[in-house]
Amino acid sequence: MKGVSSSMISLALRIALGAIFIYAALPKIADPVAFAGSVAAYRILPYFWSYLTAAVLPFLELTCGVLLILGVRVRSGALIIGALNVVFMAALAAAMIRGLDIDCGCFRQDGPKTAPWVALVRDAFFLAMTAAVLRYERLRIR
Amino acid sequence: MTHKSWLTTFLEMAVIVFISALLGIAWNRTLLADAWRGAPAGQAAPVSQQVAQGAQQAEALPMPIALAQVKELHDSGQAVLVDARSATSFAKEHIAGARSLPLEEASRQATPQLKGVAKDSVIIAYCNGFSCHDSMELGKLLIKAGYGSVYVFEGGLPEWRDGGYPTSGGKQ
Repeated sequence: MKGVSSSMISLALRIALGAIFIYAALPKIADPVAFAGSVAAYRILPYFWSYLTAAVLPFLELTCGVLLILGVRVRSGALIIGALNVVFMAALAAAMIRGLDIDCGCFRQDGPKTAPWVALVRDAFFLAMTAAVLRYERLRIR
Repeated sequence: MTHKSWLTTFLEMAVIVFISALLGIAWNRTLLADAWRGAPAGQAAPVSQQVAQGAQQAEALPMPIALAQVKELHDSGQAVLVDARSATSFAKEHIAGARSLPLEEASRQATPQLKGVAKDSVIIAYCNGFSCHDSMELGKLLIKAGYGSVYVFEGGLPEWRDGGYPTSGGKQ
């Protein structure tokens, strides 16, 4: 019984995390120029790199999200998602330290503005979900 | 977890990143080609850093800015919007509150100036959307003229209008 509930929690976490990242990726793929603008607003990357990031990052989010939902290469997908979350949190923290009043650009590019600190807390939650997915995956393959 | 198992995981991660990068680059190839053409070789630092280093005169590029941010800066009066199209097009329709500085006119001046606009103001250049490169060219000229925070709104007037935001003009 314990094994069944544990595997259900693991499945739910995996699908939820995968769905969140697919949900985050699709609007960025649909409007890469707007996302490049959001990336540029952080004032970290030079001109072309804002576009390259806007082109590649959503596909990385999408691929990892799909892998998590399908249950294929879960550990690798979750580790990349974890690494992305760490990078996002570092960028958001840098924006907060520099006093940049910007939208996080995390999901919809034309929606209401999400303050960096809200996005930072949200990313910390996603990171905790990723850690849980990795833990359950390790227990499963033991 | 064994050493071999970690190695497999890292290899899988590398393959996932590689395939995603290929997909992203292929999907956005036109956009990236345009962005690359606008980016001279050796471009390595954002405008703000280059200004700080005093190196902006050479090859600095304006940064892209999205509609949502343009709207916010426009509404709060924190940015000066500059229309790079011809004076005739400006008279017909332009983003409400924008000022006109046609690229042709700016190119004729050694250092184009925006009267009454401080060099540290946020300036957003725009023109007729993605197919129009005048805003990027005007942005470069303004950076060369010493303006430190220059952005290009590549969606331009069409995206602004499609967003249902205010425009002015109407003169034929």
